[in-house]
Amino acid sequence: MSFPRTLAWCFSGLLGFAAEAPPPLPPAPVSSFLAQNCVPCHQGAKAPLGLDFKQLTFDLSHPETLSRWTRIHDAVEKGSMPPRPLAADARQVFLRNLAAPVANFTATRARTQGRSILRRLNRYEYENTLRDLLGAPWLQLKDSLPEDGIAHRFNKSGEALDISHVQMARYLDTAEQALRDVFAAQQHPPSIRRYYARDQRRFHNRMRYSPFNTAPERAMIPIYGFEAQRDVLSDSVPISIAPYNAALRELEGFATPAGTFNGNDYSWDEFRAPVGGRYKIRLNAFSLWLGTVEGPFNNPNRKPWWRPSRQHTEKGRTNEPLSLYALQPGGEKRYLTTIDLSPEPTVHEVEVDLVAGDSITPDAARLVRTRPGWLGSPHASKEGMPGVAYRWMEVEGPAPPPSPLLLPKRKEQLRPTLAAFLARALRRPYTPAELDHSLSIAAQKSDLREATIAAYTSVLCSPAFLYLEEKPGPLDAYALAARLSYFLSNSAPDATLRALAANGQILQPATLRTQAARLLAQPQSQQFFNAFLDYWLDLRKLNDNTPDVILYPDYYIDDLLTESAEKQTRAYFAHLVTHNRPARELVQSNYTFLNFHLANHYKLPAVPGSALRQVELPPGNPRGGLLAQASILKLTANGTTTSPVLRGAWIMERILGQPAPPPPPGVGSVEPDTRGATTIREQLDKHRNNPGCASCHRHIDPPGFALESFDVLGGERTHYRSTEEGSPVWGIGKNGHEFTFKQGKPVDASGEFQGQPFANLAEFQSLLARQDRVLARNLVRQFLTYATGAPPAFHERAEVERILDAAQPSGYGVRTLLLEVVQSKLFLEK
Amino acid sequence: MPSHKFVSTNRRQFLRATGVAFALPLLGAAAEAPPRRFLGICNNLGLLGEHFFPAPGAAPTSSPYLQHLAPFQNDITTFANVWLPDVDGSHNSEVCFLTGAPHPSNGGFRNTISLDQYLAEHIGVETRFPSLTLGVNVMKSPRSLSWTGSGVMIPCEDSAAQLYRRLFLQGSAAEIERQIERLRLGQSIMDSVAGEAQYLSRNLASPDRARLDQYMTGVRELERRLVLAQAWEKKPKPAAPAPEPKDPGDPRFYMQKVRLMYDMARLAFATDSTRLITLFLDSVNSPAIEVEGTPITDGYHNLSHHGKNPSKLTQLAAIDHWHMKLLAELLGNLKSAQLLDHTIVLYGSNFGDANKHTTNDLPAILAGGGFRHGKHLTMPGERNYPLSNLYLSILHRFGIEAKAFSSAQSTFTGLELSGS
Repeated sequence: MSFPRTLAWCFSGLLGFAAEAPPPLPPAPVSSFLAQNCVPCHQGAKAPLGLDFKQLTFDLSHPETLSRWTRIHDAVEKGSMPPRPLAADARQVFLRNLAAPVANFTATRARTQGRSILRRLNRYEYENTLRDLLGAPWLQLKDSLPEDGIAHRFNKSGEALDISHVQMARYLDTAEQALRDVFAAQQHPPSIRRYYARDQRRFHNRMRYSPFNTAPERAMIPIYGFEAQRDVLSDSVPISIAPYNAALRELEGFATPAGTFNGNDYSWDEFRAPVGGRYKIRLNAFSLWLGTVEGPFNNPNRKPWWRPSRQHTEKGRTNEPLSLYALQPGGEKRYLTTIDLSPEPTVHEVEVDLVAGDSITPDAARLVRTRPGWLGSPHASKEGMPGVAYRWMEVEGPAPPPSPLLLPKRKEQLRPTLAAFLARALRRPYTPAELDHSLSIAAQKSDLREATIAAYTSVLCSPAFLYLEEKPGPLDAYALAARLSYFLSNSAPDATLRALAANGQILQPATLRTQAARLLAQPQSQQFFNAFLDYWLDLRKLNDNTPDVILYPDYYIDDLLTESAEKQTRAYFAHLVTHNRPARELVQSNYTFLNFHLANHYKLPAVPGSALRQVELPPGNPRGGLLAQASILKLTANGTTTSPVLRGAWIMERILGQPAPPPPPGVGSVEPDTRGATTIREQLDKHRNNPGCASCHRHIDPPGFALESFDVLGGERTHYRSTEEGSPVWGIGKNGHEFTFKQGKPVDASGEFQGQPFANLAEFQSLLARQDRVLARNLVRQFLTYATGAPPAFHERAEVERILDAAQPSGYGVRTLLLEVVQSKLFLEK
Repeated sequence: MPSHKFVSTNRRQFLRATGVAFALPLLGAAAEAPPRRFLGICNNLGLLGEHFFPAPGAAPTSSPYLQHLAPFQNDITTFANVWLPDVDGSHNSEVCFLTGAPHPSNGGFRNTISLDQYLAEHIGVETRFPSLTLGVNVMKSPRSLSWTGSGVMIPCEDSAAQLYRRLFLQGSAAEIERQIERLRLGQSIMDSVAGEAQYLSRNLASPDRARLDQYMTGVRELERRLVLAQAWEKKPKPAAPAPEPKDPGDPRFYMQKVRLMYDMARLAFATDSTRLITLFLDSVNSPAIEVEGTPITDGYHNLSHHGKNPSKLTQLAAIDHWHMKLLAELLGNLKSAQLLDHTIVLYGSNFGDANKHTTNDLPAILAGGGFRHGKHLTMPGERNYPLSNLYLSILHRFGIEAKAFSSAQSTFTGLELSGS
């Protein structure tokens, strides 16, 4: 470095030796204000927050510098800096003189280059777009492409959506494979076939003990009607009566007391989806009651517990959720749906999307999932234990596609077919050159089908398909239709939007608003909600941590709980949009969405079934809003412990839009101690006596304190769990192990938020709910970033306030906010 | 059967402005001196420090873990008090293990080129695969040790069987012809879309043009790789030196997978299919794994957050001991294949203490490859010493006299090159 590119310039005046142009300086009134009020503290290697004015230039084209000056402006505007009182109107003079050049810079940049940078489709958009374009909603493409880069928390910004040769190679492979799969599926005749449980190798293998399994908890019981078939179990008669009496086989089945998971999994192995497609699955299944006996059986080292006898079964006494997964040949599972089994044998029909090679794995999701060293099922007693039974599964499909992908039958059809494909794929009229290019690719193959696949592949790798073309200034009709569609459907414009782009009507504000409302009312809006929540709240990371086996055996490997928690958050947000609920309901409401498992988890009145439904909450219950949802509480923990610092920072940033500055370098985090000797709050209290720490942590931690009453999966707690100190707790976990954790020290969920004390989460929620404009402002910012790829710039703050003003009469209704965002200047321009 | 892919993600590296790509002068040419090789391994949950680090000044094989490497005392160097400067940010630090890019958890973080890819840009052209990026249990996760010069991730190959097929399985003449035809078609498609990008980039604002330039670079680079791939397709693959491995599908068989990948790395080196390999052991993504002799009751990641629980610590130690036994096996195999003297093996972690997510006091073992080994280098100073300096030393060992790499401005103090 030839010279310090710093503010020191305005103090030193040493200009002589510079070979480069001097770095830009802030306006003089700003510099003198800083010199007087800020520089005395903010200088040197130990400057607070690492903000050293002697090292800070005014080169706003540098993103970090721009963001620094913005934060400086905001801190002075808010009055949080400088800490000493100021002379009258000094603050205003400073703000005016700083705001003008910053706003001027961002406005000029927006005018000349656009607010956002040219970007390609992300993986979500690519998958949805191909599903729509190829008429194949079952395609699974996201994971074939490299993970997308993230900027401003979303996968929607040009600066982070890179392309390399690796990415290009994946596009080439993925597009070609998808086209082959779709053509194969289109040509596959649908069929119906029934697969009997008795015929499944992986079912009847589990009936017989083996060196790998001698435990009845992990075994299948052959049943006829509701009764155990001891003669089949002992192999004294054939496995099925089918060869002798086809009618009687309908009552044969297999029962099991366990869920399905790694190590004890079975699937309908006779069935493999021949091609990708939408299939109807009919499952004849029901819940059953299994007799138990007490005993360690053949292992004298085991403690006695109630174990399935396999000799006696009878009609079920419980309802049992059964989750279905697509089992891929590599062993990976993809969640499909959950049905509820009742004691009555019933045929349950569901529609599922499968890819070629998928098999079906059922999982009795509530039942025990034994892990080595287990004692037994938590549901077992002298009275018996619950189980599930399967008779058969019938598969119908694949369903013919609603609009099949075009394949020319004669050579002369090639040109019009490619033209039609291009017209749909490119989101704007194709150029003659683009058609010629794809024709010349097709010409390399003599086989018409191969020629079509090659040409389609080239279109799907082309920049016009992969990139969203936008020019600085107001968007043209095609770009606007695409932006709207990728915003609210996360996919390419549909036929209606394409038509409105072609005739330019989408540029009419009224049409735009109608179309936005239409998209929000369509089922595809779910794709928007999902993608938005995946990034805004990091819902895509819900399974990145798992509950600790020692501290949380009751949640450990409970997939149904995490799946339900995810559905709850998605359902709740969709409800806020669809019913235009006020923004304050992000943090507080008197309703939520529950199924039986969540109601139980939250200790709320029982709700039947595994499907989520809207439920009114008892007065004062804090489970309304996002903060006390199991998904959020899981995401902000690590499976073992919770940290008020992490949770607090998360709420400040994601919900209030007030991110905490990053921790100073070299300062370790305070780690909760699971041995139970001290609580995290006791540890943090020490830390807060240090004024250096306290200045930030008094803002960050309180929202986290409010959540201290909730454990790593959102269960309510009055005491921490500990591995060593405290009083023992008895129970059996989902993994069949006896609890070994202890009840440790009590939890304190009180705190003070922005000068207001709160005793618990409910009180904290009331404090937050009063700041509904702050909540709405953050949401608008998130929507704008997601929709346009760029957060509102400095000069656009007034437009954000205008959006908020317009939505204010609706109490900042979330749908109104969305529609106002769509009508805003920020959305309408590149 | 040849792979159904147009091109493997790790085909020949971009040939810088030479224009002689088609001639492949070095294709399979017998090298005069034994070629230098590099294998970088990162276990993203690290090793328990109290059992790993030898006492200052002690032999590099004097700790409970490192005693497994006793036969290789003079082939290894171990380090204490080292870190990758400013690589913080919890689990995200794993993607920086070979890049050293600072602050991976900060907004707007961009990774930089990894050591193996930097080397590949220089020597990758000499083998069928410029580099291999391997992983254990990394399926479906966006993480890798290998990053291109533009900070783009190269995904991990997780299947030993598929890797074996890529390395050794020769297709029939018709299959090869078909594959070449595929590659040629891919090449034409790239050529065609590059032309369109040129057209679209007219009148674009400069940040937008930079984005399309990146697309064009990706396209042209892939095109070149497809051309080179055709040339390699025509050249017979080396004879398979061992039968095809079977993938233990279940992530529980983590250790078995590690051993398989070690074997595959050795085979790839022995046949000169590549000279650069990274292996990412994604312990974080691993369930309760099977370890001979010790029942493991919990997922690997959960165990790492042991909270000082004795049962968890015992299980972790058992796992760590196996890591060291397998590494000893690998070194032994490389040695008996007479590869170790020219193969640099780096084993380490992005975490010093996975329980606390600290990224200082990293465990690291350097083996083979032409250094004066036999020392445990405890670096002086209150702050940790840059492990990235070791990366610069490795570059120099390859004859690449770079002045800086990643955060390194100098080579590693106290580590000398040896004669071989």
